[in-house]
Amino acid sequence: MFKKLYLAYGVLVLGGTGVAQYNGWSLDRVNQLKNVPKSVRDNPGSYRSVYGFYHHYTGGK
Amino acid sequence: MSTGTPPLTNPPKPQTRALNCPQCGAAIVLRSLGHAETVVCSSCHSILDAKDPNLQVLQKFQVATSEVPPLIPLGTRGKLRGTDYEVIGFQRRSIKVEGVRYDWHEYVLFNPYKGTRYLTEYCGHWNDITVCKELPSVGFAQATYLGETYKHFQTADANTNYVLGEFPWQVRVDEHATATDYVSPPRMLSSEKTANEVTWSLGEYTYGTDIWKAFQLPGTPPEPVGVYENQPSPVSDNVKGIWAAFLGFAFLLLIAMAAFDLTSSKGTVFDHSYVFQSGEPKGEASFVTDIFDLAGRTANVEITTSANVDNAWIYLNYALINQDTGQAWDFGREVSYYYGRDSDGSWSEGSQKDSVIVPSVPAGHYYLRIEPEGDSKHPPIGYSVEVKRGVPVFGFFGIAFLALLIPAIVITWRYISFERARWSESDHPPVKIGNSED
Repeated sequence: MFKKLYLAYGVLVLGGTGVAQYNGWSLDRVNQLKNVPKSVRDNPGSYRSVYGFYHHYTGGK
Repeated sequence: MSTGTPPLTNPPKPQTRALNCPQCGAAIVLRSLGHAETVVCSSCHSILDAKDPNLQVLQKFQVATSEVPPLIPLGTRGKLRGTDYEVIGFQRRSIKVEGVRYDWHEYVLFNPYKGTRYLTEYCGHWNDITVCKELPSVGFAQATYLGETYKHFQTADANTNYVLGEFPWQVRVDEHATATDYVSPPRMLSSEKTANEVTWSLGEYTYGTDIWKAFQLPGTPPEPVGVYENQPSPVSDNVKGIWAAFLGFAFLLLIAMAAFDLTSSKGTVFDHSYVFQSGEPKGEASFVTDIFDLAGRTANVEITTSANVDNAWIYLNYALINQDTGQAWDFGREVSYYYGRDSDGSWSEGSQKDSVIVPSVPAGHYYLRIEPEGDSKHPPIGYSVEVKRGVPVFGFFGIAFLALLIPAIVITWRYISFERARWSESDHPPVKIGNSED
């Protein structure tokens, strides 16, 4: 019974991996927006990134 | 196992005989008649010679008031492996291992056509036992019977503590025998050696619920405690198969990874270099790239930033914007690289390269809106931005590999734990416990 369950589970895992790969899914965190005005191209400063207030790590030991 | 045996619903009544105990006068019922060698008076606990018409007293024993009655009362009838049996005898026996006494119960079952068989019960674990018809061959720490090899489990001195009912042998309380068990779950091969004879029997692990069902007993059987010596492992048959399946899946995963890597376009659709001038007012640093085409079916987009940061950082607010639909993917990436030397030696942190994969981007005309930020104390930082379409995400294969590996490990761990629990009670425990010098 365990073997049958594992086989079914393995097929699902493999299938899921194939679907993720085929559809171009990603593991990275990206914010999706809609209806960005076309004026951004003429005035890039008018766009406000959601990451604009990110507090940067300045590195160093 | 056997069919065609007449049922005991209408038992052969003439074979049942009512007698009286010569010691106390209490009524004694002989259920197996000619098959019984000894019968025990339940009133005065005298062991009587069932072959003697006068029921000669062979032994009398004392019974503790705490004596537990049989879970299956004498006289109970049930169908076991297709054959009707009646419980005619009961005994409690024990072994002593390292000063600890372990008790178990044995039930004698009788069928006038099939003879006797036995049930044993220890802490809720039951075994259905028959006497071997052939002599097993005994080797080093193992025995072979009917082509099956059994591993030696335990040898101990078994003592009979309490008897009740009829027995097809000359039973005595405080009788000793050397009991040796060999196991091949769910079967168990046992020998009992006395001064006069050696008896071999074959047991098969039976679940208490099956016993209750067979004898139509009220309530539920006692819950099994621990792992019994021939208890079948719930996962033993699956471990090898699951690892074989895992290897198969891992191989398929490798093939799929190679196939996706070979067939993915991974084409560069945009590549440009820039210089970030530190000290420029924030906000005015933002700019947009030229428009580039993302063709084909919906696929991911990889954006790689390479910057010549040297003990410095640069942060880029990115937006991948579809010129036609206004759909955008907004993300921030930092490229930082620091290194140096201290009392622990040389060290470094970060990298001069960073990649991000934007998921499921439809075909269309796109541009990037980039807003770089950096430390104003540092000199200008040169950086390049490369955009690739349709790259394989190997992280998914890594996750899939782990997702396949973890259940296989868990099942193996369960199998090992079960077997360790089994053998920890044997003469061959997997690890030494305490300070035993054995």
